[in-house]
Amino acid sequence: MATVLYLNELSKKYGSLQAVDRLTLQVEAGSIYGLLGPNGSGKTTTLGMVLDVIRPSGGSFQWFGDSISSETKRRVGALLETPNFYPYLTARANLEVAADTKQADHRHINKMLDMVGLGTRSHTTFKGFSLGMKQRLALAAAMLNDPEVLVLDEPTNGLDPQGIAEVRDLITRIAAQGKTILLASHLLDEVEKVCTHVAVLQAGKLKADGPVEDILSTQDQLLISADELAPVLQLLERLPYIVKFAQEKNYISLTLSEGYTSTDLNRDMFAQGIVLSQLLVRRKSLEAQFLEITQK
Amino acid sequence: MNLIRTELRKILQYPTFWAIMATYVLLQVLLIYFSSNMMVGGQSLGKSLYDFPNLWMRFTYVAYFFNLLLGILVIVLITDEYSYRTLRQQVIDGRSRTEAVLAKFYVTLGLAASAAVFLLVMGLFFGLIYSSDTSMGAIFGKIDHLSYFFVQAVGYMCLAMFFAFLIRKSGLAIIAFLAWSKIVEPIIHYQIDDQIDRFMPMKVFGSLTPTPGQEIIDGLTSPMMALSPAWAVLPALFYIAVLVFASILLVRLRDL
Repeated sequence: MATVLYLNELSKKYGSLQAVDRLTLQVEAGSIYGLLGPNGSGKTTTLGMVLDVIRPSGGSFQWFGDSISSETKRRVGALLETPNFYPYLTARANLEVAADTKQADHRHINKMLDMVGLGTRSHTTFKGFSLGMKQRLALAAAMLNDPEVLVLDEPTNGLDPQGIAEVRDLITRIAAQGKTILLASHLLDEVEKVCTHVAVLQAGKLKADGPVEDILSTQDQLLISADELAPVLQLLERLPYIVKFAQEKNYISLTLSEGYTSTDLNRDMFAQGIVLSQLLVRRKSLEAQFLEITQK
Repeated sequence: MNLIRTELRKILQYPTFWAIMATYVLLQVLLIYFSSNMMVGGQSLGKSLYDFPNLWMRFTYVAYFFNLLLGILVIVLITDEYSYRTLRQQVIDGRSRTEAVLAKFYVTLGLAASAAVFLLVMGLFFGLIYSSDTSMGAIFGKIDHLSYFFVQAVGYMCLAMFFAFLIRKSGLAIIAFLAWSKIVEPIIHYQIDDQIDRFMPMKVFGSLTPTPGQEIIDGLTSPMMALSPAWAVLPALFYIAVLVFASILLVRLRDL
């Protein structure tokens, strides 16, 4: 697989603050790469550096195997922090300015406005837009010249639930076109829902990276109880797919190995004449997992 | 070409731009129209003010004061790009930092050219109505002063551009621009020898549009040590190049 973006020991220092600390990572073509970390962990600084607006204090990066240039920039569509437009220009005029800079075909403007649902508002000035509309206009601008890669920095930040749903839906639709997406977010469930790969940042350092299912384990925890717990415990000893179990007061918590579900457990219990009075699937909270990763 | 077209898209639809330009035109027309009523030494300047060919010297001298307004306009246009973060977005979208500065330099060239054309139209208008001599030779006699004015306007706006890229906040940049051009540099002029200060930037730019009648005053008292307009062009172009280069360097070396 081709590497779209390669970061080698990339660092940024603001005075005495090490905002990004020797960050090395690789984004492969076709992946949806999440940059996950709390506020102030260096996500925006990292994106700013690879987008050529923040000068790195050390290290290097490459786009498509080359150092950054106008050519590589035009293969990437990006929005950093906020939607950046001229408030007094209409949505359409703003996209015309962006199309000039990107050397994109101006005929794409209508198509993009329709894609983000602003086709009927193209003559409204930018300052009259709601935050959700501004964010969608920024996505339209980023998509103007049909880039291979999309870089999005907190694309749902500050949006209401409907706005979040709209923007996420857009991202999923864009990803379905086979584009590589680099997405920074502090929202775990956003990364989990949208991304294929993730890098976890904290205080500018890389804490973990890899496919989402490896990093954010989706192993579920089961809680079961029965009138008589003793036979249940005996059976659990013998079942091969139980990773671990523990008795807690009047219930048992357990983890299944991959590929097994609560259905398998329930069937086996019933086959042994054990009727469970309660079978509860509890997802390990993402927050707990995140804290686990960052405290390693 | 692409750079200029994009700048035009942004500027022509900007209400603030039109407000500043309207102020520029209106104030200048008013000043030039009413200056004929001004009294100097108990005598009205009268319609001789509009006599070709010296009209070009007088008009460019008046326009010299309004370069401040053009400078402020340039500062507004550049600092806007910082507050809207659109400079940043343009660099993300594929423009180089050098191109971003050059785009603004082209804007200053365009504004200076427009100001010179405006002066030409106004000069022809007042001159053809009031001048006692409207022969071709008289009309075009000292029209080269328009080109000196053009260089001067570009110089003023490049200084403004430099402060805008340096400070990035409109209010502070305007203060710095006014302070340097009207207070700090003139104070330096008093401190040092005329031989040297005539080569300082604001003095050089000022020399491009000398005070009308300066020759006569110089004949009566000891002559002011200033460059003639034609001689001032060279150092003026030098300062313009330095200011543009310094702006490019600033933008290239800093985070956006």
